[in-house]
Amino acid sequence: MDSALTGKQDAPRRRGRLASFVLDDHRYVLLGTSAVAFLGMLLSSQPRPAMSFLAQAFTVEVVMYYLLVAWLVVSAIALVFKLAKWRTYAEVSPFTRPAVRRVLRYASYVVWAIVLVLVVDRVVMGVASAWSVAVAAASQENPRRPEPMLESMCYILYQGRQTFLTGFITTVELAVFGTVIAFFLALLLVFARIQTVDRPDNDFVRFWKKVGAGFAKAYSTVVRGTPMMVQAMVLYYGIFGLFRMTSLTTTQINGIWTTFLAGLVTITLNSTAYMMEVLRGGIESVDAGQLEAARSLGLSQWQAMRKVVFPQGIKYAIPGLSNELVINIKDSSVLSVIGTFDLMFATTTVAGIYYQQFQTALITTVVYLFLTMLASWLLGKFATRFDVKPGPVLGTSDQPIKVEE
Amino acid sequence: MAHNTATEPMVRIEGLRKSFGSLEVLRDINLDIMPGQVVTIIGASGSGKSTLLRCINLLETPDAGHVWFHGADLAAEHVDVNSLREKIGMVFQGFNLFNNMNVLDNCTLAPVTLKKMSKSEAERVAMGHLESVGLADFAHANVSNLSGGQKQRVAIARALCMKPEIMLFDEPTSALDPEIVGEVLEVMRKLAADGMTMVVVTHEMAFAKNVSDEVVFMDRGVIAEKGAPKDMFTAPKQQRTREFLSRYLSD
Repeated sequence: MDSALTGKQDAPRRRGRLASFVLDDHRYVLLGTSAVAFLGMLLSSQPRPAMSFLAQAFTVEVVMYYLLVAWLVVSAIALVFKLAKWRTYAEVSPFTRPAVRRVLRYASYVVWAIVLVLVVDRVVMGVASAWSVAVAAASQENPRRPEPMLESMCYILYQGRQTFLTGFITTVELAVFGTVIAFFLALLLVFARIQTVDRPDNDFVRFWKKVGAGFAKAYSTVVRGTPMMVQAMVLYYGIFGLFRMTSLTTTQINGIWTTFLAGLVTITLNSTAYMMEVLRGGIESVDAGQLEAARSLGLSQWQAMRKVVFPQGIKYAIPGLSNELVINIKDSSVLSVIGTFDLMFATTTVAGIYYQQFQTALITTVVYLFLTMLASWLLGKFATRFDVKPGPVLGTSDQPIKVEE
Repeated sequence: MAHNTATEPMVRIEGLRKSFGSLEVLRDINLDIMPGQVVTIIGASGSGKSTLLRCINLLETPDAGHVWFHGADLAAEHVDVNSLREKIGMVFQGFNLFNNMNVLDNCTLAPVTLKKMSKSEAERVAMGHLESVGLADFAHANVSNLSGGQKQRVAIARALCMKPEIMLFDEPTSALDPEIVGEVLEVMRKLAADGMTMVVVTHEMAFAKNVSDEVVFMDRGVIAEKGAPKDMFTAPKQQRTREFLSRYLSD
């Protein structure tokens, strides 16, 4: 019965479903904005941080608070009306009249603005105050960590900023370089993997095609069947052991076979296997008729793959491939087991200094979340350029390979 | 439709057998296809028509028997099937146009890749064939924007660009709406009139009756009956042919 009130009357404006709901639907304006107003009231009842600007304008805040209350009251009345006149609400309620609806919509913008001011005053200024307290505490003769949670976290972040920054950069490097190198290796490997014996092939070619496909299959099985943490240890200590057999000293080996290099190799080899499977899934989801048509024209298996099947398959694989970057950002954290100085290693280092595991981990959570969200946002933009739907990006490497048509 | 008087068959199928698992799809097929001949293969679904057709250009590998094409046995190991396929055009039920290319590139891919034709030369040839199927205006269209009938006509043009000596049609109109079947059949009719050797698997009995030189009726993996269309459709010899045709012609 509200259908006439939703998008239809504003049809020429052609809003999306969500935008139309938020901007045009009075149910949202009343109930949805009530939730926002309630949030604002909660914020307003919080103690003011040191840098709060509303502390200088107490009257303003009181007025704002009662405006929020008024909004809640109006919404409550509308709700009661709705409950009392369940069936005839659309016709009899004053809230559905166009003029009232318009006023309510403008009023809802005011509510949003008030809550925004409160968020800035309490949350943003709260963090800023905590940060300034933390920095002040850190620059004293005898730096002491302040006890309150937020100030304490700011203090840890400020004091450990060099460590965090190094870890952050290492994590980004590992994820980006690892994913890019792995992509090219996966391309090579998937070509080996999808080779099938073609009729005109001689025995020599047949043999190597089988070896290539077998190797790719075995590689994928081994790598995907073992944890990356274990792979990192095997690779790092194994190759370290090989270097030991030469005349190099331990210091020299540490200079060549660094934990960063070992971490990068691990993450690359690991990602290669997963990306190969994603690519294979993409290639296999191309209709078999495409290959048949190309073969029927006389193209060889390889020509048909390269010119017809692969260009289509990689399009299906893009969501899965970009997912791999996000996974690598997160999964690089296990490399701290061999001492790669990534964000996780930085976290344990800093946490060890202040004996504050939880607060340090919380900082790292925010950083990882920021990184993965940034990566998926960028990849989403990238994917739309290729006319592909970006897939569910936040996943684990253990997800089964899913390819959307 | 004129019979070519050449005595040497273009394709000779001898003792062809094919099974998928325990299911025997083709059982001892023998068939000669003369140059310029139009052969239609009819029969119920699952009778092995398409598999037989796909054995001619080796999209299915026969289990036993021979497919002679210009003196080369396609069924032999290590045969250079790719260069032989260049001379055997094929049109599929599902069109199978390359989705990552436009209409013109669909037509020029194989000539440029395999015949070492220059791009412009291949495009000139392709435009000629697109013209003859009435789709020259769509040369730069995206494949996905075409109707089914248009797609199938492009598929025919694509196959013709390789200058094949024989064209195989695997139920070319089965995926089309009844009202656009005609435009594809018209192109095929024109092709037959130009003397192209054709093997057509079809359920279009009117086409089989009017255009083909020989009709092959397949039933459960064997050729049950073959003959000139007028004999086949007016006086079928076999009981199962009669049953099949009466089912179809009553529609």
